[in-house]
Amino acid sequence: MGTNTTIAAARRQRTPSRDRAKPYYRWYVPYLFLIPGLVLYLLWTVYPLFYQLYISFFDWKIIPGQESTFVGFANYQTAFADKTFWLAMSNTVTYAIITVIGQMIAGFAVAVLVNRVLVGRRFFRTVYYLPVVTSWVVVSFLFIYLFSPGNSGLINYILTQIGVIKEPISWMANSSTAWVAIYSLGIWKGLGWSMVIFLAALQGIPAELYEAAAIDGTNEWQRLLHITMPLIRRTILFVFVALMIGGFQVFLSVLLITGGGPLHRTEVALTYMFDRSFGQLKFGYGAALSYILAVVIVVVSVTQTRLFGRRGQDVEY
Amino acid sequence: MKTKLVLSVIVLLFIVVPATLAQDVVTIKFWHTYNEVSPENQTLTDTLIPMFEAAHPNIKVESVPYPYDGFRQALLTAAAGGEGADVVRLDIIWSPEFAAQGILMNLSEKMSDFQQYADAVFPGPLSTNAYDGAYYGLPLDTNTRVLVYNPAVMPEPPKTIDELAAMCADLPEGSFLFSDGGTYGWAILPWIWSFGGDVTDPEIAMATGYVNGEKTVAAVQFIADMVKDGCFSDGFIGSGLDTWGGYFGGTIYSMLEGPWFYPTQESQYPDFKVGAALMPAGEGGPVSVVGGENIVVSASSTHPDEAMEFVRFTQSEEYQLEMSKVGQLTVLSSLLKNEYFVNHPYYGIFLEQLQTAKARTPHPAYTQIETVLGDAAQLVLRGEMSAQEAMDAAAEEIDALLAGS
Repeated sequence: MGTNTTIAAARRQRTPSRDRAKPYYRWYVPYLFLIPGLVLYLLWTVYPLFYQLYISFFDWKIIPGQESTFVGFANYQTAFADKTFWLAMSNTVTYAIITVIGQMIAGFAVAVLVNRVLVGRRFFRTVYYLPVVTSWVVVSFLFIYLFSPGNSGLINYILTQIGVIKEPISWMANSSTAWVAIYSLGIWKGLGWSMVIFLAALQGIPAELYEAAAIDGTNEWQRLLHITMPLIRRTILFVFVALMIGGFQVFLSVLLITGGGPLHRTEVALTYMFDRSFGQLKFGYGAALSYILAVVIVVVSVTQTRLFGRRGQDVEY
Repeated sequence: MKTKLVLSVIVLLFIVVPATLAQDVVTIKFWHTYNEVSPENQTLTDTLIPMFEAAHPNIKVESVPYPYDGFRQALLTAAAGGEGADVVRLDIIWSPEFAAQGILMNLSEKMSDFQQYADAVFPGPLSTNAYDGAYYGLPLDTNTRVLVYNPAVMPEPPKTIDELAAMCADLPEGSFLFSDGGTYGWAILPWIWSFGGDVTDPEIAMATGYVNGEKTVAAVQFIADMVKDGCFSDGFIGSGLDTWGGYFGGTIYSMLEGPWFYPTQESQYPDFKVGAALMPAGEGGPVSVVGGENIVVSASSTHPDEAMEFVRFTQSEEYQLEMSKVGQLTVLSSLLKNEYFVNHPYYGIFLEQLQTAKARTPHPAYTQIETVLGDAAQLVLRGEMSAQEAMDAAAEEIDALLAGS
């Protein structure tokens, strides 16, 4: 109570009353600086967002001079009955869950290890972070090459050499094996990002806590579970939410590695949307699909923060 | 006062001079998919465009090469924005769709001397430019696929599909008699036609009774059996197998290839002995698929006259002959009597195959029809559906597409 009053008093004292005394201060100056960004945001984000909603109620024609017809909720009705779209949605969710968990576990493990390294920490950090800043196009082609069929593929070559498989696998011919390539790319490319975030959190934990726990006779596993994990809880949540949103937006890797094939079985929400819009020129339908996806993402994100994000449970030290 | 005058003169110069210069030289954009790896693109940019520009000092041609994958989308989105190419080298299967979308110029109406050019080319390739009683382009090059085999492992090419199937018995493990990259029309239609089947009736009004007819079903079943027995490669089910790599490595005995195969082979495997024969015959004969490109002008071109002048140039014997030298088979009937073609080492077999080759369904919905057909065949090849069942379902869907729904 007493502390609070002091802080409030201190704040009051810091109120910048002298600012108002400055002769050239104008109330609108901050707005002038804010407006350009706001205008760009309205023009490039908000306007297209609503325009797309508008498009989703039409059989939209993109060629100038052709007439678009209003179809009401027909595009949404088609979407709800479209089996391929729901397959694409469930593929997207599965992709998000598998790659997010994979990235978090791998990223955390690497962060713990890198945190222990005394010599060359920067080197390892850079090496593991490198895939994050590499172009999706480049690494997708790299993975197509790694997962080539027959004995010419590196993965096939290694697996047959060490005797895991007898015959080389045609990875892209079946959706189950094609996913292996897509998932592993997603995890490999993203783990560096969660590693860096986890590493920063780990370095913020005071070493005394571990020392005290060691004196109390705890083993490494107990220290990880009872000290590290609770202390970086909010970081874990942040990484989880951010990666989930990213996972739902998987696009380039799938487009380039399988193109949604075979038979649309590896289609994800965005590749399917792209195919309907730019492949079949059904832009109204594509817009409707994107709105359904947007609703799903919002629901998932809100649920996540509700479930894991309750305030006031942070461990303090 | 004097300064004002000087300033106005300078300003005027800045406005007027560039404007008059711009009137003098017009730049037209030519979008195409000439292969940048093989010598096609080089012939265009180093020989043909300079030749055209020398004869037309007021026109500059900007060559914009695209990879084939994604070209259709690039063209459609550019058309949507009212931007993009003046002249396009367009795959013949896209012409009806693009004409129906209203993004191609009606050349039979806008080009005064159109008939003269139409009379000079083969009627088959010309017909791929027709839509709704008008012509929206001229043929640029034509081609077909013939059976390219490796004489080292296949001393005699099979004349019939039965002969090919019989070779299966002696096939060593890890080798394939034949390979292709999927079940798209370009790959499976030669088999369907050679079996005597088809996708639609000749009037392109109906698929039922054709795509699910006895012979088409038998063709799809045949490919499925061959893939299952390991005689044809699993490239058919989209494994991404490198067919050319397997062919030059000796594990793939034969494949269907177009004339562009030779320039690449000559530059990369000059010592490899290549054999070529007609597509193996079935009940329908040795039928292959017609490919090729048309030259079209976009409806939104701001320089239609210059664009049409370039179209005329592509129909000249010089252009056609130069491109024929790099694997782009000519569409000019007069040119076949030219010494170059009479003595040519490999065009003979392609010209012979073209006698019986068929064109893919010239319909605005072809892209969707092809997807339905390919997906149905894919289900059969994967053993997930019987051939009859899959083709019955495809017939229903294609009928709906033909009816325009």
